[in-house]
Amino acid sequence: MGLEDFKAMVHRCSRCSYCKWIPFAHVKSWRFAKGCPSIEYHSFQSYSASGRLCISLALLEERISCFDEGLPDIVFKCMLDGCCDVACKVCRYDLEPLEVMRNLRFRLIDNGCFPIQDIPLIDNLRKEDNMMMARKADRANWAAGLSLKDLTTEKADVVLHVGCRLSFDEELWRIPQTAVTLLLDAGVDVGILGRDENCCGGRLYDMGYRGEFLKYAENNIDAWRNAGATTVVTTCSDCYHAFKRLYPEELHAPMNVLHITEFLEQLIAKGKIAFKKSLPLKITYHDPCHLGRRGEPYIPWEGRQKKIRGQILVYEPRKPRNNGACGVYDAPRNVLRSIPGIQLFEMERNREFAWCCGAGAGVRERYPEFSFWTAGERIEEAYATGAEALVSACPHCERNFLDALDQRGDSLKVFDVLDLVREAR
Amino acid sequence: MSTSNCKEALAQIVDGEHVCDNPEVIAAYASDNSFDPPKKPLAVVRPTDSSQVQALVAWAYKTKTPLVPVSSGPPHFLGDTVPAAEGAVIVDLSRMNKIIMIDRRNRVVIIEPGVTYNMVQPALAREGLRLSMPLMPRATKSVLGSVLEREPITNPRYAWSLTEPLRCLEAVLGDGSRLRTGEMAGASISTSAGQVMDYAPLEEVLEKRRKIQETVLYQYGPGQFNYYKLVSAAQGTMGIVTWASLRCEVLPEVEKFFLVPAPKIAPLIDFAYRLLRLRFHDALFIVNGARLAFMLGENRDQITRYQQELPPWVLILGVAGRGLLPRDKVSFLEKDIKDIAQHCGIDLKSNIGSVHGDHINDLVLKPSPDPYWKLRSKGGCQDIFFLSTLNRASEFISTMVSEATAHGYTASDIGMYIQPTHLGTSCHMEFNLPFHPAAEHEVQTVKELYQSASYALSGQGAFFSRPYGMWSSIAFGRNPMHTDVLRKIKALFDPHYILNPGKLCFQDTP
Amino acid sequence: MPLEREVYKELESVVGPEHITEEPATLFSYAYQWMAELVPDVSGGGKFFDRPEAVLVPGGVEEVQAIVRLCNRYGLKFHVYSTGWGPWAAPPSGGQILLDLRRMNRILEIDEQNMFAVVEPYVVAAQLQAEAMKRGLNVHISGAGAGTSVLANACCFQGGGPDCIYFDSPQNSILSIEWVMPTGDILRTGSLGSGLGWFCAEGPGPSTQGIIRGALGGSGGWGVVTKIAIRLVHWPGPPVMPIEGTVPAYRTKLPADQFRATFPAFPSWQSFADAIYHIYDSEIGYIAHRQYVMWGDELQAAFLKIVSDPDRQLCDLEELLHMPEIQKLTDEMRRCFQLILVGMTPRDLEYQLKVLDRILEQTGGWNVALVNEPAMQQYVLLYMMRLCFKNLNFTATGGFIDTYNSVASPDIWASGEIEAGKKLLKKYAGRIADAGDQAMGPIAGQGGGGVTGWEDFLFYDPHDPDSVQAAIEVSDEGDRLKAQQGRPPGGMLLGLARTTHTEEKVRAQKLVHAREYQWQRKLKQIFDPNGIGSGNYLWAAEPSTNGEST
Ligand code: SF4
Ligand code: SF4
Repeated sequence: MGLEDFKAMVHRCSRCSYCKWIPFAHVKSWRFAKGCPSIEYHSFQSYSASGRLCISLALLEERISCFDEGLPDIVFKCMLDGCCDVACKVCRYDLEPLEVMRNLRFRLIDNGCFPIQDIPLIDNLRKEDNMMMARKADRANWAAGLSLKDLTTEKADVVLHVGCRLSFDEELWRIPQTAVTLLLDAGVDVGILGRDENCCGGRLYDMGYRGEFLKYAENNIDAWRNAGATTVVTTCSDCYHAFKRLYPEELHAPMNVLHITEFLEQLIAKGKIAFKKSLPLKITYHDPCHLGRRGEPYIPWEGRQKKIRGQILVYEPRKPRNNGACGVYDAPRNVLRSIPGIQLFEMERNREFAWCCGAGAGVRERYPEFSFWTAGERIEEAYATGAEALVSACPHCERNFLDALDQRGDSLKVFDVLDLVREAR
Repeated sequence: MSTSNCKEALAQIVDGEHVCDNPEVIAAYASDNSFDPPKKPLAVVRPTDSSQVQALVAWAYKTKTPLVPVSSGPPHFLGDTVPAAEGAVIVDLSRMNKIIMIDRRNRVVIIEPGVTYNMVQPALAREGLRLSMPLMPRATKSVLGSVLEREPITNPRYAWSLTEPLRCLEAVLGDGSRLRTGEMAGASISTSAGQVMDYAPLEEVLEKRRKIQETVLYQYGPGQFNYYKLVSAAQGTMGIVTWASLRCEVLPEVEKFFLVPAPKIAPLIDFAYRLLRLRFHDALFIVNGARLAFMLGENRDQITRYQQELPPWVLILGVAGRGLLPRDKVSFLEKDIKDIAQHCGIDLKSNIGSVHGDHINDLVLKPSPDPYWKLRSKGGCQDIFFLSTLNRASEFISTMVSEATAHGYTASDIGMYIQPTHLGTSCHMEFNLPFHPAAEHEVQTVKELYQSASYALSGQGAFFSRPYGMWSSIAFGRNPMHTDVLRKIKALFDPHYILNPGKLCFQDTP
Repeated sequence: MPLEREVYKELESVVGPEHITEEPATLFSYAYQWMAELVPDVSGGGKFFDRPEAVLVPGGVEEVQAIVRLCNRYGLKFHVYSTGWGPWAAPPSGGQILLDLRRMNRILEIDEQNMFAVVEPYVVAAQLQAEAMKRGLNVHISGAGAGTSVLANACCFQGGGPDCIYFDSPQNSILSIEWVMPTGDILRTGSLGSGLGWFCAEGPGPSTQGIIRGALGGSGGWGVVTKIAIRLVHWPGPPVMPIEGTVPAYRTKLPADQFRATFPAFPSWQSFADAIYHIYDSEIGYIAHRQYVMWGDELQAAFLKIVSDPDRQLCDLEELLHMPEIQKLTDEMRRCFQLILVGMTPRDLEYQLKVLDRILEQTGGWNVALVNEPAMQQYVLLYMMRLCFKNLNFTATGGFIDTYNSVASPDIWASGEIEAGKKLLKKYAGRIADAGDQAMGPIAGQGGGGVTGWEDFLFYDPHDPDSVQAAIEVSDEGDRLKAQQGRPPGGMLLGLARTTHTEEKVRAQKLVHAREYQWQRKLKQIFDPNGIGSGNYLWAAEPSTNGEST
């Protein structure tokens, strides 16, 4: 589908602004009512989902051009976190604002209209297959000393994909290391692709580089097949989203994909992980967008929109709705709740309408100031719960929080779910 | 203009017998019970309908003759009906006293300015309705006068705004043209043959509207402004209102009154706040013993006796049942209110000594019998009233008391009345200072006290929202932009400043 | 025409470079509006009205004042909006700048005791309601829903809604106002202007609030209201509305002994009208609205099933409509409305329920049992209490307007106008959605009752030119029918869309009759001498001698 295919949809946006807020039902305060970091930071209408829908229409009607100076910033200063999409769909069954915004990005990138900040990033990616400005050769350093199957040569049921962030962010290596320990201890037949693990491509896709994404996706799928894996487990929510949603959508390649927290939830339920220690800690959990509302399973659909009763728009056959209802929210919470001593407080914006960490869709790389501001807003919200630690299930979120905290000179603790599991064993 | 020229011209408009320059009558309009300086009008004219008013204003506009509209009968207390300009003609509207329409189903009444509460309430009662009223108005008080001047009503639950129960109206503006407002605006114009016609007669319009189920209740407009707000508390300076529609209450089938005595006002305020919050009240206000005594006592002696008998403060609370299950309503309210009272640590009583709840209903919540209660104690009375919020009442009370003491005025003689309004967002505070008009020293004391206390209270945060007499300089002095805007509005609706010139901030002709 | 550089520089120095833009993409995002396609004279049948020349996002009253002064200096027209939903939010014509007030978004005060809040323009109802509830208070929410500006609804636009029976219309709930006049001077009304706080709307003397809004507010063309105090009412529920349910079928469970959603339904329109009078006279109800019929009396039951169930979709509509129990429900609900009873105490609710029973007994009515199902009860309570699902107005086709509205006494419900509206819509069914009677509206538009009425919804597809054309035709035919009966025009929304963007003579004359309108025009001349208010045509049109505005 291209941007043209969304013209009808764009005509039908009511410009109601629901996409700027969390679902109004859930508003609990003045402070945390907002849902869209983009418009909160940049103020102008164009920096909202509906604004970008208008821009898409203006482009399609050739009122503006892809090459208009300033347009890329308007389009890309957005995390594609999808809170707008959830809020819109509280009432609308026929709109896909996130899809439109994604296609708007493709249109710009296809026309060579990318922010110049991308140049070194993409150059490195092409050379080193990662988004971290790092060397491919160092990709498996985190796993040094762990006796793990190397799936480039061996086979295993489960492939553990740790992703670019965890492969190269030394401070966070403990996360995949813990994952490995837990999986091995539970007797799981697991391995990694090591240095040959590729970027999942998900972030590239969100940044507008669909072509690059496809390349990585194909490579990954091949590698997994060669390793004989039936299940992909990932410690990264971005990767999870790519595997769970984008791969089947773009490549029609269904895989059994689990986020590590889902896997842990199962292991705990089966009694394969037991906790020995109590962790007396007040925590709050941040739903990573890509695991939560955007982590819904992909369900293929082919059909058409038709009109009944004159003009009422319906899909035939029934089209699956991606409105955040089926994201992964409970698995990480269940894992956390099973840890003795932990007290879990919810932030006002949680689950399908959680506020974004600020790292998504290339914003951290392209617009760090905006990215940290977004993280800062979440940190404030975490503080408001009275929690001592902010826990998440995505290294991108965690890194962004850590850096934002650092910048603020703040000391809120940031953990991954795996950290607490490790500590309590 | 000479008196005779004027009289002649007026007689062309209004029946000769209703144009008057008889010195006694002139004198009666030349002063009132306020400290405002007296000034004799040239003549008094009593029109009988809207078209006469229109003709009068048109004439005055042409001749630049000041007009002072008066709708209530004497005694007056606020100086607003005493001419400030030379050569004024009093437009006494008391003959315009028709009740034009009562619509029970939609609970609305249309009346002319000369209608008093004593006229309208019985007529409404026959239909099962009544109008919310200010506290014990004098018998001659014009209903429209009271409403237009934003006098507070005793039931804050029905004070949806400070202008309630006012809805639509017709006014004659300073150039002699007419304006109908709210949903009566565009609706009542007939156009034909490409000409803008004048308004169709009211009855005709009402008849037409009845057929299309339209009412006279929507007050907003015409267009993007609210004239009815501009004519409120205007003391007749923005237009002469010739009729207005008012929203009525359903006449309660069951009504009970409680008196809550207290040595200090604080618990009564808490209690009042709670009731306001839940809207568990009909009449609801607080008075001090003196004020209640003034209202109940038929003469000086009785007043003194009541004053001795009554506690320092009394909250008066009415609960009422209307509509389908009135008894059930009162019964649940009684139970809940008792719980609330208990929570506030106060006693609900149906009587305090000889003062029974029924007294309140029969006497205090009705227009005052003659002589007007304000005059019964000493023959004269100067009021100080303003708006604030209920939580600040005590501060103003202590200021008033210390001002009185400083001026040698016996503080226990001050009547005090605290009326929550606008559904509890604000409250009207009123101090009554009775005095003997013949005792020069006393007059002087009260005059000085009135002035000094007004300044002190204003400094403390009293909002003189209806700035009569000396308060106009206090009130308008505090808000020059509002004053400037008002003058521009005045110049629009009364370009020659003929409508009660000299009042409010309208001293100088533009 | 782009702004002169000198003017741009000066404006920029007021708000800072990050809060002004001429970026074409952004300007178009401000020109896009609901209903634009229905005013083809301006939009060419597309989604864009005229775009502004620049957009500014001022941060406070001082900046607003400075901008307005510059506009006066340079003869530059400006238009202003808060949340900006609707055709009246787009600049009425080209050559204007637009002020987007989204940065002025604070709740400055909530006076719990005296029951009011002080807000800036970009505080939306959901926010204020959430904060008010923490203090046991609640705020009127306009029919446009929780996402709209409290201030703009009260001062600058229409503002009525389902809760007026208890809360009153927002006009009456305004206390003091801070208003940057079109001259750039700042008027503070009521007690605020005297430096005494926000509690009082009027005075001293005549209330200058009277020139800030009337039946309608200035719709962005009449200065800038920068702060208001708004009256609140009691909220006997929990400090935070507890939300349950899966997106989108959120629900709230409120204490059953104080909150009850009901669907009174009636055998005839006469009994429907009689019931309304009983409700007024007996003074029951916190919210009273004929809400769900917006989907049409033929579809409302099915639609309600869909939107309150997270697993359902619009494509289930046909299947549902064939189900006998839905057909029965459709019949039961045909002449019903939504009445939310809230007891300040449990005894209060008990009393109100008893009154409702008595009303139903006397009128032969019934309470539609559907609403007693726990999930439905909770869904309806949330819907009506927060008006958080208002974009459902657009769900069927992506576009709606109203067509055959009535605002009058409750007897209007029994006047035959409902059937007339339905007949009109049926005539065009196919080109617009075929849904039946879509007369949605408040049971009371005023505190304690008073005027009531409805908007006859019409669903059209903004993407389908023929459907768009049909919407225009229905609205115009509706107005003609109304005129034949001597009634005011029916199609409010299209009327406003047109009058705010075109010199639609007939409309302007009908909406604001020429004779009284002259006063408004004169006020405009006095308080906007340089004509810099964007001057949507409600303000700008001049009446001619033949009674039409020109
Ligand atoms: S994208 Fe959806 S939520 Fe946003 S304005 Fe359009 S319809 Fe409303
Ligand atoms: S994806 Fe996030 S940042 Fe982008 S428009 Fe939606 S809510 Fe805003």
